[in-house]
Amino acid sequence: MAVLLEARGLTKHYGSTIALEQASFDVHEGVTGLLGPNGAGKSTAMKLFLGLILPTSGTAMVLGEEPYKSVEGRARIGYMPEHESLPPSVSASEFLMHMAQVSGLPPAHARTRAADTLRHVGLDEERYRPISEYSTGMKQRVKLAQALVHDPVLVLLDEPTAGLDPAGREEMLDLIKRTARGFGISIMLSTHLMGDVERVADSVIVLESGTVTRQDSVAQLTEETETLLIEVADRREEFAAALAAKGVAAADDGKVLVVEEAGETEYDLIRDAAAESGARLRRLTPRRRDLRDIFRKES
Amino acid sequence: MRAEQAEVFDLGYQPYTGPREGRARARRAVLENGVRNLLGIGRGGRAKILPVLLFVAAMTPAVVFVAVLLLVPADEFIPGPADYYDIIGVVLWIFGAIMAPELLIPDRRDNVLQLYLVRTLSPADYLGARFLAFFGVVLALVYSGQIVLQIGLILSASDPLDYLGDNWLDIPRFLAGGALIALFFTVLPLLVATFTTRRAYAAAFVIGAVLVSSFVADGVTAESCTIDTGPGGSSSTQCERGIGDAAPYVALVHLGDTPGRLNTMIFDGDPTEGGPSRAAVAELHAIFPIGFYVLLTGGAGLLLWNRYRRIKL
Repeated sequence: MAVLLEARGLTKHYGSTIALEQASFDVHEGVTGLLGPNGAGKSTAMKLFLGLILPTSGTAMVLGEEPYKSVEGRARIGYMPEHESLPPSVSASEFLMHMAQVSGLPPAHARTRAADTLRHVGLDEERYRPISEYSTGMKQRVKLAQALVHDPVLVLLDEPTAGLDPAGREEMLDLIKRTARGFGISIMLSTHLMGDVERVADSVIVLESGTVTRQDSVAQLTEETETLLIEVADRREEFAAALAAKGVAAADDGKVLVVEEAGETEYDLIRDAAAESGARLRRLTPRRRDLRDIFRKES
Repeated sequence: MRAEQAEVFDLGYQPYTGPREGRARARRAVLENGVRNLLGIGRGGRAKILPVLLFVAAMTPAVVFVAVLLLVPADEFIPGPADYYDIIGVVLWIFGAIMAPELLIPDRRDNVLQLYLVRTLSPADYLGARFLAFFGVVLALVYSGQIVLQIGLILSASDPLDYLGDNWLDIPRFLAGGALIALFFTVLPLLVATFTTRRAYAAAFVIGAVLVSSFVADGVTAESCTIDTGPGGSSSTQCERGIGDAAPYVALVHLGDTPGRLNTMIFDGDPTEGGPSRAAVAELHAIFPIGFYVLLTGGAGLLLWNRYRRIKL
């Protein structure tokens, strides 16, 4: 997979404040989550990749170019900022048409692209109303649309679900997923919400206090574990006692019995314990880790 | 239509395969958008009121002069091209003060500027395009009345060709004078607009600076006269300026008169007709008013560029 973004020893200091320290990572095609709490340096990293600020040291390469050295390399990049950044007095249609032209598209093409992109993000008739009359969700969609209007290779989304209600968040994540999967546009998504990353990202880069603490594929991080979840329909106590008699430690979390480090032998012993106690097995599944578990374990 | 003839068109979002015109298109888009914003094109009626009123105000004197010329052929009473910029000076200041903030401030205040600068535009590209948009509109405002006046003067002459032959030099003169005036009225208000995100503050500062500088300049160049009555009833009038020989130098600060002085030079006009401060500055070597104009316009231009070069987003 091609490397789209490359950070090497990327450092940014604002006076005595360290926003990013010696960050090195690659972002490949697909959807990458840049995960971290507020103040971890996510927005700073994005601004460095966009050439909006200069690094204190190190390099940030975008599609093989340093963005703060040449603006031409930004032609195929889109950016959706976290904060409000739309002109209130113009319509979404006019704004998008203008932004398409600022991205280098001729006026006639810009008009068509603006209409298509607004339709893609779910704004149709509303696109002729002034942006000041839009809800937060609609404004988020316009921000996403302006980042997509010139058909970029890579889009950087800074907290795209910020300020959205649960339904709006789901819609935005679906839209991001659809954009990435349906049109082959690579996305780097900055967020402090693990759920967002799990929902849409292929890989994740974790930033904490300006340093990269982990980077891996989401599938790898959330792979099946050796923890077994056992649910029985009846005779729960007898089943637990039979397991204990066979030397299998099972923790009772109220709803299921949890067996850590379960191998082939444990599976056989669980079968035997169920047979001896007369308990009916309802569920026997290995548990998938979620990102929350991983960070809880590592912290 | 039979089923096998039917086609399904995907009209939604799809990969773009059309032309990409890069940085040149980006600059042009920002320039055109600037002109549209200034003139209220594509906006509601309210956005058009001020530019239309100011264009009307800039052209009305010319229309009136031409009408008078056509009705009463006595051109010695009509102000000529050399005087025209002084007549519409207030309109130019008001336009600069109110419209320059309109061009730069909303992009910064609404954070739209960062959306420009993540595309193929450098801060210099953005500023250059906005600058040219404003300069072009101010130039149109400056020239509009002059063009009406020139056409009126030529057509109202008993022999238009003769008039043109005798006065052809007025055309390059008003073009050059107008360009200097437009440059001045572009750079200074744009610079002021970079220091605030409140449009009213920027406009008030520009108008205030012009008024204060004119009070100062007119105050120091005003002459107080005393009448001495000598023996035998003869009297003589003695006039002097409050701060004596320094007055012409202090009079240079008259912001509203800074480009007008150069226009008077270009037309080889009489500076005493331009008010006391212009007459006082005319006592100095020409290098002073020219130098002051270059310093003010060039310095403001450099500062403006520097403000955007180091802009924090």
